[in-house]
Amino acid sequence: MNWLFLAQAETPEYNFWNGAPGSPALLTKVVIALLVGIGIMIALMFAPTRLRRPLVALATFVAGGFWMASTFWPTAPDAVTEGRNASEKVAIFLKDVTSVVADFSNVLTAFLLGLGIYSIVSVHGKRILKRQQDWSFSVVLFASIVLMAIFGYADWMDEQNRTAAVTALSPGFWNRGRDLLFDGMLQNMDAAMFSLIAFFILSAAYRAFRIRSVESTILLSTALIVMLSLMGVVVSAWDGLAGDFAGGNLKLSEISKFINSNLQTPGIQAVKFGLGIATLAMAMRIWLSLERGGLNS
Amino acid sequence: MATNDPTPRSFGQRLQSLSRQTVYLILIIVVSASVLISKFMGLTLPNKPGAGSQDFFAAIMAIPEGSTVFIQSDVTNSTRGESAGQFEALLRILMRRNIKFAVFCASGEPQAPQVAIDVIARINAQRIANGERAYERWNDWVSLGLFPDGRATAKAMMANLRTAIDKKDTPPGKPPTDVWQSPVMEKLKVIDDIGLYILVTASKTSDILVERLKFAPVTYGDVPLRTKLGCMVTGVMGPETNNYYRSSQIFGVVIGLNGAVEIEHLMENGIKPGQSETYRSLSIEGFKGMQNYARGMAYYLALHTAMGLLIVLVIMGNVGMWLTRRQTGGGA
Amino acid sequence: MQWKDTGWIQMVFLLGMIFMILLNIKRAKGTKELYIRRIAGLNAIDEAIGRSTEMGKPVLMVPGIGDLNAISIQALNIFAYVTRTAARFANPIRICIANPAVYTVAQEIISDVYQKEGLGDRYDPDSVRFVSDRQFAFAAGVSGIIHREQTAATFFLGEFFAESLIFAETANSIGAIQVASSTETTQTPFFIAACDYVLIGDEFYAASAYLSREPVLVGSLVGQDWCKIAVIGLIIGGFITNSIEQPKMLKDEESGKMRYLKREERLIYRIFHPEVDQEKEAK
Repeated sequence: MNWLFLAQAETPEYNFWNGAPGSPALLTKVVIALLVGIGIMIALMFAPTRLRRPLVALATFVAGGFWMASTFWPTAPDAVTEGRNASEKVAIFLKDVTSVVADFSNVLTAFLLGLGIYSIVSVHGKRILKRQQDWSFSVVLFASIVLMAIFGYADWMDEQNRTAAVTALSPGFWNRGRDLLFDGMLQNMDAAMFSLIAFFILSAAYRAFRIRSVESTILLSTALIVMLSLMGVVVSAWDGLAGDFAGGNLKLSEISKFINSNLQTPGIQAVKFGLGIATLAMAMRIWLSLERGGLNS
Repeated sequence: MATNDPTPRSFGQRLQSLSRQTVYLILIIVVSASVLISKFMGLTLPNKPGAGSQDFFAAIMAIPEGSTVFIQSDVTNSTRGESAGQFEALLRILMRRNIKFAVFCASGEPQAPQVAIDVIARINAQRIANGERAYERWNDWVSLGLFPDGRATAKAMMANLRTAIDKKDTPPGKPPTDVWQSPVMEKLKVIDDIGLYILVTASKTSDILVERLKFAPVTYGDVPLRTKLGCMVTGVMGPETNNYYRSSQIFGVVIGLNGAVEIEHLMENGIKPGQSETYRSLSIEGFKGMQNYARGMAYYLALHTAMGLLIVLVIMGNVGMWLTRRQTGGGA
Repeated sequence: MQWKDTGWIQMVFLLGMIFMILLNIKRAKGTKELYIRRIAGLNAIDEAIGRSTEMGKPVLMVPGIGDLNAISIQALNIFAYVTRTAARFANPIRICIANPAVYTVAQEIISDVYQKEGLGDRYDPDSVRFVSDRQFAFAAGVSGIIHREQTAATFFLGEFFAESLIFAETANSIGAIQVASSTETTQTPFFIAACDYVLIGDEFYAASAYLSREPVLVGSLVGQDWCKIAVIGLIIGGFITNSIEQPKMLKDEESGKMRYLKREERLIYRIFHPEVDQEKEAK
């Protein structure tokens, strides 16, 4: 069987939803899909608000329903291919359709980035045109986007056309340019931003960690033990001194293990239980379009 | 913090009101000095591996030679202080054990696949310099690139591994080819055919995988595994990921820079009988005589001194508050 | 996961929780009498906006860096309330976003808020901004906005990771009032250390019910409390059965000696891991 033209385990590699890379069939499919997508978008834009809401609710319900079903529907054993019952047929259908829906999701996620870029162009384009404050930074931003896109794409094309297996280290104009921009600048700026956290942790801890109450004293003492337990030299010295005294329970490694296992983990689990239940409730409200907050107000 | 108040401040007030800039400067000096000392003196500091790292090491040492390991590397260079040390140690072990691997990113982090490829190139260069066999792309490892939607990808892999991964990689001397033709991937049909699934992450992708991937229990040598999923995470994500380790939903967890050092320590010394908390009688030989201490140990002294500085500053602030309170009769 | 693999009790429990939530939503419709305890961070919203108005500085909001999911939508729901209040006082707002999908939804919600308040002319489309989808580029961009525009009030609500402390400390350095919450338990300590008010754990989800007193939301909150009671019941049940089984001994099939039950042989473990039985049957 081949519901919705989907690939079954026995059917060929390519089906209604995909095609051989670079083939005219795939290109045609991409163009048709784009046209259909744009058509749906235009139809939704012109649809009356009264109709739009139920349509959005329906789409939300169907999309959520699919993932619900694919999660909770019992799986069918792969070994059995003949004489499947109805439940197993549904399971096989859900299994096949998952890859297609995952591709939908991946493509959609990639497309949405375009909207984000539109926002950046809008905000910074206006700033440059109106010569607003700090407009020169916006010019730098545009230059960075364009340069990175050009070098990234050219290097990728270069790589596709190259026959040698070694790619990352092979030199070439585009490769060198990409290395400079990506490894030399972007990656290091990323790392620099992340390293700021070390500074901020220090200043925040210095400012905020004060022993003002019993609770803060307990918190600070446990934090001190956990921090010390991350220092191998201290652990080694402490454990050596403590030896097997009190059954070895006074070793720093044992105390920190006790804190991690019996205090920290249950605490986090409790918070996560609350969060999980609340997420479930929120998800149910969104799925069934019961949410009347910002979205549907 | 710094004020223009002309009235002279007491010692206690001074202790608790160091300016941000001063604190930052002290940190820069302390950490830089520590890294330099480590680099030039080649210090090897003591370390006691925890149960999470021991179990992680046991699993990757027990997996049969020639198996294929999936490495979901969602990290970029931003967390290289912690993640690069872990990732490098993992790669060294896999390469020394002739274990094939497929590396990819499934967290929508476009930089991550390239970062992983660069690290592999770096380790390969070291191997060649040490006279070891170069680990060959396509035949020993493949890059599956980027999967923008991690949730959907994990579900798709669970449903049908073959259709979930529709990627190409470059065989030696040939144009890019379907990865399923690679020796790394050709034997895999379903997700349980993967030897281990290792996640290297700085975010909560561990949640996504634990919720969506399900592996049948398996026993490699003396190491019975309830799942094939293991995690290497940053220090901040440690406590949260530790939950999954405690409940046996992942086979092991390596946490932060300390975890990287723990793995390096295990690579050097192995696991002796009675040392492993989970597998009491387990004995694993390390890689004595090879380069085991690397990026993790290089920054370990800096971790010590930075932690020490944090403790000193917190104590200073509290002593300052106590002195000020005593002076003002408890009304500070 | 598939219920055949992991046992029916998880499925039943999940369906039970869903039933409790939906039942309470139905029960709560038509009543606004239900009590919700005070949440300090949410009471501070008006104070923070008031201060921004006095200073003539913008209010900054960041819904985390996660995808378009329940968390970011909840954050936007709270921001809709903040925006409504800010719009009434003609206070400028800035919403910085790291995910393109969240950005499109946020634009709709915020423009809708202005329209509903009859203040459409005050809506500035550039107040909702996509900054970058790269974590630290986003962190740098938002920190820049905080510094340049000297925001008087900042709301960091949603899925935050390593950038949480960068935002919180930057806002702290310019003296902005900060209300924050991260659904990531590992980031909450950073917010507590650096922010004025922090919503912990599921307080974040209680916020929209607390602010709007909408029956559906309040009912859902009551349903969540029922679920928590059920979870606590399950934990106590596990504690009791495990305690009863703790001293139990049986004869080991291989050695013939008496031994305590292994973890895999205990009732609660077997309920949640039926595959252990399946493995035995397979053998």
